[in-house]
Amino acid sequence: MNAVLAYFLRDMRRWLRGRFNVWSALVMPAAWLIFVGLALPTRFTESYLDFIAPGILVLTMLSAGMQGGSSLIFDKILGFLNKFLALPSPREAILFGKILFTTVRGLLQATVIMLLAILLGATIFSPAMVGFAYLVLLVFGILLSAFSTALALYVEDHDGYAAVNALLSMPLFFTSSALMPYDVMPSWLAAIARYNPVSWAIDAIRSFAAPPVLWASLAGLGLLALAMVAGSSYLFRRVTV
Amino acid sequence: MAAIETSGLTRRFGELVAVDGADLAVDHEVFGLLGPNGSGKTTTVLMLTTLLRPTAGSARVAGHDVVREAARVRERISYVPQDMAVDIKLTGRENVSFYAALYGVPGRDRVDEVLGILGLSDRADDLTGTYSGGMRRRLELAQALVHEPEILFLDEPTLGLDVAGRRAIWDHVADLARRGMTVFVTTHYMDEADRACDRVGVIAKGRLVAVDTPAALRSGLGGERVELATDRPAPPVAVEGARLVSAEADRLVYHADVAAEAVPALIADLAAAGVRVRGLTVAAPTLDDVFLALAGRQDGGGGFDYRSFRNLLRRR
Repeated sequence: MNAVLAYFLRDMRRWLRGRFNVWSALVMPAAWLIFVGLALPTRFTESYLDFIAPGILVLTMLSAGMQGGSSLIFDKILGFLNKFLALPSPREAILFGKILFTTVRGLLQATVIMLLAILLGATIFSPAMVGFAYLVLLVFGILLSAFSTALALYVEDHDGYAAVNALLSMPLFFTSSALMPYDVMPSWLAAIARYNPVSWAIDAIRSFAAPPVLWASLAGLGLLALAMVAGSSYLFRRVTV
Repeated sequence: MAAIETSGLTRRFGELVAVDGADLAVDHEVFGLLGPNGSGKTTTVLMLTTLLRPTAGSARVAGHDVVREAARVRERISYVPQDMAVDIKLTGRENVSFYAALYGVPGRDRVDEVLGILGLSDRADDLTGTYSGGMRRRLELAQALVHEPEILFLDEPTLGLDVAGRRAIWDHVADLARRGMTVFVTTHYMDEADRACDRVGVIAKGRLVAVDTPAALRSGLGGERVELATDRPAPPVAVEGARLVSAEADRLVYHADVAAEAVPALIADLAAAGVRVRGLTVAAPTLDDVFLALAGRQDGGGGFDYRSFRNLLRRR
């Protein structure tokens, strides 16, 4: 546990001491909120901002989580990982440290985006809603960061990682329920969107504002996250250079 | 039982045999593994530090098998790879405290102590990004020493450092050995190995070709080192009883069985080629000569094998 905390604090310090990269990751979700959330004329809802805000929160965590692996890629390229792997602390601690760092970083970014949404006029964020959104984002963040960190273990360099990241992130977002409800989607898109874990996270958050709450979606995410963490731990335990 | 014992230790990458049946015993000494780039030094260290599984053979480090008891081995060793990986956005103290936490070393006292030993106390609270190369390397030593390992593995510890930086590193290594630590170091700087190592092993194309003290290796080679300075680029002439060690533009180095016999013949042959000898040095052989005699001239003959090269880079 101490080792997990040590890895987490190292990454957190390094991240917070970078002046630019702390803020740059917020630009894309903020742009979505402002230029799409406020501007897009829609007929299916009174306030598109309220509709899209949960989707943008999940998008923020999606990019933060998928970005998480690049931290391990650099540790690998720069020789840190070899040092870590030769340490007596359990190797899963490296993975859990990255999961913790990536998820906490995503939650911090999501907080800024949530505040921005409220500032722009979103009305759905009651205190209980905020708590529930954090819970969903936490589980979703663990799922993504476990996946991206294990992926980074097997990708050779940063270009390869960025390519896989780009290949997955945008399609996952656009085939989710982030931008429109299922009943206005073309049927082929709705069919995909219902099986997309990104939709599960968005639907769960949205359902809290308009009950019944979709506990099943949250449970589905939780099971996926558990399986992903278990699989990634296995890979970390047996990795050699 | 020796600190490090290997028996038939072998690692293959596809066709390439990176380490070929190494038998070695190292205990309470500074042991230098010498070899040119790509000879299998780093692969050997990676196996001994449990990061790479041997293809065949076995190794015991601190009494534990590197495959079956990898976790026990890791508790007793420290490893400093050649990449020089310190976090430049953390201070020196934070860099060491981080490793103290990973090793489960409690409190700040030990951190302050190793920073002091490595001469970094003054700059401990500066960001490591402001450190020189030599300081970063010393910081890595501080990280490695914070948990008081029995065996320290250093891969090319002086690569890219200036003279003062190199000397500082070797002084620290000698100091650690005096306190009873076993230090296993790889290098391709023969002069440094000659001064700093109690014993050296020479590895060439994956094969461990000799293990002994530097002095024994030098006197075992016998003969003399003949260095000729010429007035213009000289052809590497060949005479009996002398073997060419290196040929630069106006400097030829030979290893001669008897210098008094070889030198006149060399001068005569060079004169025949229209080259005049302007300077002559005869000396006892250096570890460089030993190395070239044992390992051969690695860059002579044979095309550049791109696939092996890539494999080596990938596996580094």
